[in-house]
Amino acid sequence: MPSIEPHLVLLHPDRRIGADMARWRQSGGGEALACAAQNPAAVRGEIRLADLRGLGGSGFPAWRKWDMVAAAAPKPDKYLVVNGNEDEPGTFKDRLLLEETPHQIIEGAVVAALAIGANRVVLYINPDMVRSLAAMKAALEQWRASDLLAQASTALGKPLQLDLLPGSGHYIGGEETASMEWVEGRFSSGVTSVNGYESSLKKSSSSDITPASGHESSLKQSFGSVPEPKLRFPFPRGKPPYPAQAGVHGCPTLINNVETLAHVPHIVVHGAAWFRALGKAPGTGTKLYSLSGDVLYPGVFELPMGTPLRELIFAHGGGLLSGKPLKAVFTGGPSNTLLTPADLDVALDFESLRARGSNLGTGAMIVISEGTGIVKRVAEYERFFAHSSCGQCNSCKVGTATMSRLLDRIDTGRGTTADLATLENLCAMLPGSGRCHLLNGAVQLLDSAFHHFHDEFKQALR
Amino acid sequence: MSNGIPLTEALARYRPDALVEPLPKLTDSDTLLNAHHPDHLRGSLVKLVVGANAGESCQRELAEILQSEAFIDEADLAGTPVTDIDVLVIGGGGAGCAAALMAAEKGARVLLATKLRLGDSNTVMAEGGIQAAIEPDDSVQQHIQDTLRGGHHAGDPALVAVMAGDGPDVLRWLIRRGMQFEQTPSGDLHTRRAGGMSSARLVHCRDYTGLEMMRVLREAVIQHRSIEVWEQSPAVELLSNELGQKCVGAVLTSLLDGQLRIVRTRSVILATGGLGRLHLNGFPTSNHLGATGDGLVLAYRIGARLRELDSFQYHPTGLVHPTHLSGKLVTEGVRAAGTLLLNGLGQRFIDELLPRDMVCAAILRECSEGRGIRIDGQRVGVWLDTPRLERANPGLLEKQFPNLMTRTRVSGIDPRTEPLLVHPTLHYQNGGAVIDVNGATTVPGLYAVGEVAGGIHGRNRIMGNALLEIISFGRRAGIAATANRDRGPKKVTLEHVNRLRRALTLAGMPLTRRAPQVLPGYAAGGLWNR
Repeated sequence: MPSIEPHLVLLHPDRRIGADMARWRQSGGGEALACAAQNPAAVRGEIRLADLRGLGGSGFPAWRKWDMVAAAAPKPDKYLVVNGNEDEPGTFKDRLLLEETPHQIIEGAVVAALAIGANRVVLYINPDMVRSLAAMKAALEQWRASDLLAQASTALGKPLQLDLLPGSGHYIGGEETASMEWVEGRFSSGVTSVNGYESSLKKSSSSDITPASGHESSLKQSFGSVPEPKLRFPFPRGKPPYPAQAGVHGCPTLINNVETLAHVPHIVVHGAAWFRALGKAPGTGTKLYSLSGDVLYPGVFELPMGTPLRELIFAHGGGLLSGKPLKAVFTGGPSNTLLTPADLDVALDFESLRARGSNLGTGAMIVISEGTGIVKRVAEYERFFAHSSCGQCNSCKVGTATMSRLLDRIDTGRGTTADLATLENLCAMLPGSGRCHLLNGAVQLLDSAFHHFHDEFKQALR
Repeated sequence: MSNGIPLTEALARYRPDALVEPLPKLTDSDTLLNAHHPDHLRGSLVKLVVGANAGESCQRELAEILQSEAFIDEADLAGTPVTDIDVLVIGGGGAGCAAALMAAEKGARVLLATKLRLGDSNTVMAEGGIQAAIEPDDSVQQHIQDTLRGGHHAGDPALVAVMAGDGPDVLRWLIRRGMQFEQTPSGDLHTRRAGGMSSARLVHCRDYTGLEMMRVLREAVIQHRSIEVWEQSPAVELLSNELGQKCVGAVLTSLLDGQLRIVRTRSVILATGGLGRLHLNGFPTSNHLGATGDGLVLAYRIGARLRELDSFQYHPTGLVHPTHLSGKLVTEGVRAAGTLLLNGLGQRFIDELLPRDMVCAAILRECSEGRGIRIDGQRVGVWLDTPRLERANPGLLEKQFPNLMTRTRVSGIDPRTEPLLVHPTLHYQNGGAVIDVNGATTVPGLYAVGEVAGGIHGRNRIMGNALLEIISFGRRAGIAATANRDRGPKKVTLEHVNRLRRALTLAGMPLTRRAPQVLPGYAAGGLWNR
């Protein structure tokens, strides 16, 4: 395995300690919070200088969202949603962060809350990541028992409330507006003492946290006399209004990915210049790449933002399994354009990939070698998208299902030329017709697979 | 082994009526096994490096195929027709047919895929009979004890107990389906006692018990409307779920047109038999052409644990002459009837009714110490003294061993007047996939029955337990596989193949050898290849 690199920030061995408050504070935990409590306004400036991006897939500059929320007036609350609903194929960085560095994330979230003036922080986590939830729950209890929360509340001027909220278990629940929908369904407006969820967790601590079905009932119990919030499917909303203007219960809401917020304490402590220097220009800072597929060492690698694909696959991933040639890389989620061997030297940052017509996304790289069928893989991912479509936009509901069905036919040797033509037409017709990005991603994947591997699709026809 | 007594000299010395010296006392059975049994040839054992049995030893030929590259890759599956079925049975021998029948009776739609034709198997070669504790002086307990003792107590008592317990019912089941057994004049089932048995327990149909069994099973399978049979369709890979942890189907090919086919299913029953055709250590084999150990390869690759991988049974009396019958068995029943084994000097050297591994080791000792009878540079053997039996019991050979008589007659040999030249032949794989009492392997959705499964015979199988095992566990697996009511596979992948590839690459192993072998290299068409 590759040795420990000097540039490890998020995954530095000192931070991968799980929910251990004492050890975390020994290794400098809490410093960023102290800084931010002194001067909350300065944090946003540093983040802006650091050019921290939304690392959940969009690459949108974090400071712009922060500034918008900071500028908006609380009505009466401001929300910060920490998005840990990671669910897409090939991405597993947030799970690792949540599981091994829960304090780092909570500190990042609290610092961000101070910077934008949010008094409600919701840690929104994929319910299937049972160990991540358990680690976050333990860490959160340690925070409540410590002086840190009080310190933050004093700086904020009102009580800062931290809540852990398992998501719905749907992929679409990770879309930012969909996450608000779920949060609204769980926490009714104006009720400030919603600690119910965690207390119910304490009651049922024997089984730790039971995802999905388990938490429904415990939630209901825990709210007791409080008017029961209506459970809602996490449907994405149309934009605008943007969450920063009218988010959870109409309050200004900042939604950031776990990895984005995990960077915040380090930027605050070490400064923007240090952060920028970590990356390979134009990228800044480090990025967690989830490497999987036909590589020798799959796993999460923290590398400078902008590390070339070749280095990731061959230096860190140990090259391809059984020495076969590289065929393609599904990037970030895999709702983006495929990368091919011609792109091996592309720097893995948002700008460079966008210039290639692809996207870094979550930093997931699913590597496939010669010998792996594109048709089968694409059919598999399209099935995932069809399954994940929330169904509120007809074009997405029907479009993804149709693409999936036709690809299945082709994959199982029943496809005809007409099926292929239909798929090509759908690729031209569908983009942009859905509220959220799901449909676009599904089409982009198929379109680029057609572009690079058209012959393979043709060969699979009946 | 350049020494030995030339055939002509030995023949000249041989007299069917010669007085045989009393048997020398066997000093130490362990020493004999250690020195001469092929399982103990230290040089031929290697350690497995990857997989569920990493660190354990097995024969080099077997290790090579267990740690090998798959024949197919994911790309080969594009555009492959998919068949959905409840239960897939791989293997068309006795175990596969029993499993298919039982699964179909329980309401499953069954696909039975067989490498060659339905019934092309080692089942049809089983001559001796099937064990079941049915005699008044016998008991299931004794059957269990004999089986465990015969297997040097390496077997799993739980498996042996259910098999022995099933014995009488298995006979009933077979008889109901029309199988014929030898009867006593009063109409009872005729039983014989054979090597390793404490009481007469071997029920048989002349010396072609397996053939008769296969006749019945084959008819039942063909007639069953819920069982579809694909002949000449060997399995080349199993399919796993997206985590590579559960068996959800298999990739079959066709020996006729080479077309791959994906079968998606809730349960796969491996009934692929043994690996005699790998010719471990260059031994001849009594196995049929398709016995190339494919089941072990597929099971190991998907992560199933195997056991007693280094233990094989060599049948003591395989014909050496004529060449085209090389490896062909002379049933143990011949020895049970009183035939002696003699070396080139006309001496007895072992109690013929000791367990097979001991007799086998003794023959190999005679051959390697220069008391064997040599035909040419390669072939050597000892006498199976059939003329003496004929002198003592005129007409017995003709009456009880018609199969042997026919086989030898067409080769121009008459066992009644000349002794048969025999040498141990690779006969049975004692170990195999680890199973529970329902035939379930350590991988969910994957069952193994028959010779490909292990744990019943320990390190040595006693006669008549193979036919019992295939029906007993075949029926059990058929029922259990049908009871598996999960929703069926969402995804079928070759993830387990990648897992093994990764492990092999990390271990620095070459990925040059491909398996399963499907057919031995010398079979028509050579190595199977797409």
